[in-house]
Amino acid sequence: MFNQSKVNFSRVLITALALALFMIPSAVMSQDVANGQATATVQTPLTVTATAALAFGTVFQGVAKSVAVNDAAAGVFTITGQGGTGISVYLQLPDYMSTATGDDRMVIAFSSTDCSIDTTGVVDPTGTIVGWTGINPYSLPATVTVSGGGASSAIFLGGSVNPSVDQAAGAYTADIILTVAYNGS
Amino acid sequence: MKMFTSLEIPASRNKTWRGFFIILVLLALPLVDVLAGVLVAPSVVILSDKNRTGRLNLQNPSNTPKEVGISFSFGIPESDSLGNVNIHLQDSAVTDPRSALGWIKAFPRKLIIPANGSQIVRFVANPPKNLTDGEYWARIVVESQEGATSIPMATKGDKITTKLNMIMRTAVMIKYRTGDLVAALKLNDAQAKKKDSLINVLVDLSNEGNVSYIGLLKCRLVDADGKEISKNKIQLAVYHDLKRSMTLPLKEGNYKKPYKVEVTITNKGRKDIPVDEMVFGNDISYTMTLNN
Repeated sequence: MFNQSKVNFSRVLITALALALFMIPSAVMSQDVANGQATATVQTPLTVTATAALAFGTVFQGVAKSVAVNDAAAGVFTITGQGGTGISVYLQLPDYMSTATGDDRMVIAFSSTDCSIDTTGVVDPTGTIVGWTGINPYSLPATVTVSGGGASSAIFLGGSVNPSVDQAAGAYTADIILTVAYNGS
Repeated sequence: MKMFTSLEIPASRNKTWRGFFIILVLLALPLVDVLAGVLVAPSVVILSDKNRTGRLNLQNPSNTPKEVGISFSFGIPESDSLGNVNIHLQDSAVTDPRSALGWIKAFPRKLIIPANGSQIVRFVANPPKNLTDGEYWARIVVESQEGATSIPMATKGDKITTKLNMIMRTAVMIKYRTGDLVAALKLNDAQAKKKDSLINVLVDLSNEGNVSYIGLLKCRLVDADGKEISKNKIQLAVYHDLKRSMTLPLKEGNYKKPYKVEVTITNKGRKDIPVDEMVFGNDISYTMTLNN
């Protein structure tokens, strides 16, 4: 009985010593950590989103159709990132829309007033835009900034399609590309 | 009368609120999907001769998988005579000796990010031999598209339907650094002109180091006694030569003429770039007196 208790006591002692050996460097390391300085840089990711596609819907042969930049059907891109930071924005616009086979084309045009940019968080094309209204989409301003407080900067786009009188019926498509880059880094 | 705390909501009201929140969440779900783009971080990727690999985190906050393409271009901030800054992306025929285009690779280049998921894209630099000391640049272009790419079907045989694919590209700077790095900036000229109730400041800068000068341009408008009328600051990235403009509002008040504009340029204090990724250089201070 006594021997058994002694063995148990020895085991406990050895275990305690082993734990103590592990804890000593751990305590030293803890001290190091406590003395160190933790620093972190919060980086805001840049996000570009197509909130709404420029939508002409169904069009008819020989009848031009336009969507104004302040129309609900206007295309909308939104940009979020580090508030107040300067960005360069560039639109690549198509000259025509084509069918899936590429056999038929339809002219699409953008006038020098078909774009607006808001830098205050307005993302509705029918809303009150604060920034640039009715500007040239082929030459966007160089002083666009990301809205502050987590709000989005928005780019609105109108345009027009001109189907010919003998335009072939079918589904026409084209790409509108917006490129965004921080210009201060 | 019973007072309710946030932890003590009666069962009937609890059910009402639960129902309200479920409806709210269900209503918000399609909204999240429509509004979501691809998040790209960090804003600059740094590689070096000591660590030739880097990474970019892409996040898809939407409820649908997103197809993303990665490519490279060359584009640094350039300015016109008025100090307006633009970045022109070039995919080929780049003549800038500091271009890293062609020897930085991305893995993977095409990827599908699952709904509400994220993906790491890795970059590896294989620079040419005998590269002179300094920094070399390219842009990572992250391309994503909202919605399906399918072409709409005409509802009737004689109708014309249209669909415009809205494609988004985010161009993130990637820099490769080798050897001894020097950040040095020279102020060639500074002008301040009054126009209505604004002071337009224009600074003309030249990079005299072998890395991009990343910093802040700060301007203060003060009166003859040094009392501050207004101030402004912008982020600055000078790769070769750059003109930058800034406006300072001329506020009404009891200010003594002549006014002065204090210009300070420093590459300390950028909070968007980790300190260990900065190459620190000289600061510039310059004061101009307004004539009128």
